[in-house]
Amino acid sequence: MDVGILVQALVNGIMIGGIYAMVGMSLNMIFGVMKITNFCQGEIVMVSMYITYLLYTYLGLDPFLAIPLVALIMFAFGAMLQSLLINRSIKEDGDQNVLFLTCCLGIFLTNTALLLFSSNYRTVESIFSNQVMKVFGMNISLPRFVSFLLLCLATVLIFLMLKHTKLGKQIRATSQNPTGAQVTGIKTKFIYTCTYGIGAAIAGIAGACLMSFYYVYPSVGNVYGTRSFIVVTMGGLGNVWGAFSGGFVLGILETVGSTIVGAAFKDTLVFVVFILILVIKENLNIKRKRG
Amino acid sequence: MKQKQIGIRTILLLILIAVLALVPLWIKTPYILGIFVTTFYIACGTIAWSILGGLTGQTSLGHAGFMGLGAYITALLTTKAGVSPWICMLIAFLAVGLIAGILMAPCFVLSGAYFSLVTIAFSEAFRNLFINWEYAGSGQGILIPIKKGFWQMRWVSKIPYYYISFFMVIIFFIILRSIDHSKLGFALKTIREDEDTAKAIGINPFRYKFIATFLSAGLIAVVGVFYANYIGYINSDIMDHSYSLNYVMPAIIGGVGNIAGPLLGSAILTPLSEFLSANLSSVANGLNLIVYAAIVIVVILFQPNGIMGWFVHSRFKKNVNKKLDAVDRKLFKMKQAECEE
Repeated sequence: MDVGILVQALVNGIMIGGIYAMVGMSLNMIFGVMKITNFCQGEIVMVSMYITYLLYTYLGLDPFLAIPLVALIMFAFGAMLQSLLINRSIKEDGDQNVLFLTCCLGIFLTNTALLLFSSNYRTVESIFSNQVMKVFGMNISLPRFVSFLLLCLATVLIFLMLKHTKLGKQIRATSQNPTGAQVTGIKTKFIYTCTYGIGAAIAGIAGACLMSFYYVYPSVGNVYGTRSFIVVTMGGLGNVWGAFSGGFVLGILETVGSTIVGAAFKDTLVFVVFILILVIKENLNIKRKRG
Repeated sequence: MKQKQIGIRTILLLILIAVLALVPLWIKTPYILGIFVTTFYIACGTIAWSILGGLTGQTSLGHAGFMGLGAYITALLTTKAGVSPWICMLIAFLAVGLIAGILMAPCFVLSGAYFSLVTIAFSEAFRNLFINWEYAGSGQGILIPIKKGFWQMRWVSKIPYYYISFFMVIIFFIILRSIDHSKLGFALKTIREDEDTAKAIGINPFRYKFIATFLSAGLIAVVGVFYANYIGYINSDIMDHSYSLNYVMPAIIGGVGNIAGPLLGSAILTPLSEFLSANLSSVANGLNLIVYAAIVIVVILFQPNGIMGWFVHSRFKKNVNKKLDAVDRKLFKMKQAECEE
């Protein structure tokens, strides 16, 4: 195998890994803090992609410039979803209800998109679209590179927000011990709403970046929904850097793996690796508890 | 305690079965019969799902993968080797049950959402493999040619399919009911409620989860065999994640963990979704699924235990029981204590 192709695949993997990392991080906020299994994460990314598309067609906003606006809209959307629907189905025992609810919500959002936008593929032109950068003989697509940089920046900002702001500290406290947080006077319900909102906003940033080089269709969320869970389980729950590195591992696994086993079987490879990681991790956990 | 005496409940049940068995005599429209057949096989799939998802509490979201495996087994064996679908049912039950059991065995340590994720991953991996497997038709799928006859399980009319699927529902329900009342069922329910307690009283969770997975996946593979021969064409789309939800939603609506839940849920949801897709999808694409999802969301929000979960503890059930007991006493001169199970 040509080393050049492998290196090129590696670079592409890092670029797409940035998106996976971002979506994974958005799920990490929701899954890690609230311990709810959010099976409509991919659909939230899809919604944000359509919002970017709408902003582009009606206001002429470039997807990269639209990021703050999309993040804001998605924050409101996520907070609304959480406070109106998901909060009501959270029970002390088990997460089955939330799981089914978010599954249904996914169907609902996908088909609403189908109703409003039909199943056509939609694209958006950004200033960087279709431009390619050449570094050391490797081709790097410019919109991917710019989104990669933006995502790194966003990750650092989220990390700082969680570490140093009051809201961030409250979120971390709630994630560690909800009852304890409540005792110290933190309004956990409000924090949950904020967390879901922030999670959706991060997904919004990922969606807007994705829109600059990818197309959107109603069931695009399927790809990112499962992938986001893979990222989170690879990197570890409740850990910003874990999700970040998990995203890159997944991206590299996908691109490098598809040059080795063939692009057709890359999904199988990803899922098998995912199952193996999950099982090995759980067994290690059990051993650690006993030992 | 249980009485073997015939009461009004048994008679009502027999009347219901008899009415359903006679339906094809006066409904001849293939479309309506088709809805019945769909309802029946979805009910079978939901019952199969609820062995693992309801009784054992391991929420699987990848049962479409196992159903697809069953469908592919019959499609390949009948078209390439000429094996009868009836034998395929047995082969699919054993083969898919074993495959699922062995593949999932390492994953039994996982709990809750992680188990669901693993099942999704398995079904997606199967789909990816079958979409690229040229011998199995790759993306084009397999068309099962029409060779009429009982042995081939192929008819032009829908009436034989109606009876086969109806018979399957009855058998599946009897299987579920006998599991529910057996030692196996109690072990599974103990695992669902608390795995550590189950271990402490000597139930081996691994062994029982294996049995539950074997039965659940094997039975849904039988549904897959029926589906393949009924539709006459399969491709890898039937393994899609969204198809798994077809077997999960009725159980949630009906009530997870209650043996009548899957039947009731699919009797409500499947005709509803057929009606919606016939009437609304022509008006606006996707509207039928929006309404469908909205209804399920509302039920999950306001009645998290499903319809049977509500019914078991409701005053309505008490009233119905009282009335039925009164009829029992009048007709069969039973004492009240006798007819209570």
